[in-house]
Amino acid sequence: MEERGGAGQEAGSWQYRVDSYGFERPEDFDYVTYEEFFSRYLVILTRRAIKWSKLLKGKNSIQKSLKVKRYIRKGIPNEHRALIWMVVSGAQANMEQNPGYYHKLLEGEKNYKLLEAIRTDMNRTFPDNIQFRKTADPCLQQTLYNVLVAYGHHNKAVGYCQGMNFVAGYLILITKNEEESFWLLDALIGRILPDFYSPEMMGLKMDQEVLGELVKMKVPAVAELMDRHGVMWTLVMSRWFICLFIDILPVETVLRIWDCLFYEGSKILFRVALTLIKQHQASILEATNFPDICDKFKEITKGMFVTECHTFMEKIFTEPGSLSMATINKLRETCRAKLLAQG
Amino acid sequence: MPGLVPDEACDYLFKIILLGDSDVGKTCVVHRFHSGHFRERHHNTIGVDFSVRSLLLDGKKVKIQVWDTAGQERFRTITQSYYRSAHGAILAYDLTRRSTFESIPHWIHEIEKYGAANLVIMLIGNKSDAVDKRQVLFEDACTLAEKHGLLAVLETSAKEAQNIEEVFTLMAKELIARNTLQLHGENPPNSIYLDSRPVIASQSPEKSPCLC
Repeated sequence: MEERGGAGQEAGSWQYRVDSYGFERPEDFDYVTYEEFFSRYLVILTRRAIKWSKLLKGKNSIQKSLKVKRYIRKGIPNEHRALIWMVVSGAQANMEQNPGYYHKLLEGEKNYKLLEAIRTDMNRTFPDNIQFRKTADPCLQQTLYNVLVAYGHHNKAVGYCQGMNFVAGYLILITKNEEESFWLLDALIGRILPDFYSPEMMGLKMDQEVLGELVKMKVPAVAELMDRHGVMWTLVMSRWFICLFIDILPVETVLRIWDCLFYEGSKILFRVALTLIKQHQASILEATNFPDICDKFKEITKGMFVTECHTFMEKIFTEPGSLSMATINKLRETCRAKLLAQG
Repeated sequence: MPGLVPDEACDYLFKIILLGDSDVGKTCVVHRFHSGHFRERHHNTIGVDFSVRSLLLDGKKVKIQVWDTAGQERFRTITQSYYRSAHGAILAYDLTRRSTFESIPHWIHEIEKYGAANLVIMLIGNKSDAVDKRQVLFEDACTLAEKHGLLAVLETSAKEAQNIEEVFTLMAKELIARNTLQLHGENPPNSIYLDSRPVIASQSPEKSPCLC
């Protein structure tokens, strides 16, 4: 953990069983194919790193602009990722306006039930990551616990929702900073995402409906298949959306998605979901029963299509076609009203 | 008709939902049943997870779909939509944590409210490998099961593969029996109770499955 350097360290080291974030690779990990991809990606990473250092010119700030948006879509170099996330999400500004707030939360009075709920998930957050092991030094479990406890007391309406442990865990892996992770979590849950994590999970239910509508518009054959076999979208996508694709897609791909999530907002999640579905439409349509459909939706999140994160990110902006924020907002409004009417 | 979903490759297809508080070992139970292995290291379940296994019971091919759910209370708002189509529910508690047992009546209430009327419910006390930390007496679980007319109580260990097969076999056999009765029209649907008293089984050999 000495440096923020990420993916770059593993060039030419395909014998490594642990990736640069500390995740152990599965036993059946295809090193040869990965190495092939990575040597190509490394060229892109290097080019982007040069472009970004010219853009930043050693400064610690950045103004939103079309150029920056384009740069972010092409990936933030890992060494700048924490900073850019902090700046574009507004987390940096909030942190500066509220000095000492985070530590006050940790020192304040505690809700015992909340602590218990958080503690229950500590050993179940990235047990496959060496930095989250109890024996690790420093052990990120304690950092994670603090961030979640502080957040639960900061946003009492949400408290703790399972899934937040993974999101906070990723933030910690990238920022390597407790307080920054807290403010980024606040940016995500408090501003960027709809209310996915509140006890009613209204935002999640709403976005499930919205995804259903979007699939109806853009990939009608798949919508029809789901309908015919009574597969609810919630089965497929609650994990996708709550975990913001953690543990669904490869780490590097998730981080690239989050780059855009912090800059462009939550509609990026629909772009990712729609791309996965549209790209694999033919395969999904081969399914003839409920379990097959479930399997297909697991299958489409694996393989080179999602590992090749750079091409994948290009795809999400072309494959689903136009997806304006106005369309999303309108759908969200209708779906929320429909859900509220159902009680 | 419940339990008799046509499927080209099996005689019966049963949907079983697994419910219970967070960290009682639901995912490990399913994983043990599904793969025969115990996973020490795994993530907490988000939303609903799904797996299938086929069993051969008395010459009949039975396919069991298991719906594994997130334990945290707020996820019920998502998992409830699955209760309706389930034929059986397995309610799990951790026998080393009293509070997870005390939640069982809430889970029963949930499933009675949102599940089908003739749903078969079983209770399992998981982590029987850690009896030295036991906080729930087997007798208390039996009393609770009898009170609510559950099918059975079993103490299980996903870690040591105790009673896991038994849970699903017992559930499947009961569902087959109810179905057969319904097929022969001996009873109108929704009113079949072969025996409302619980079958009791713990993991120790002296307390093998029996009718009480």
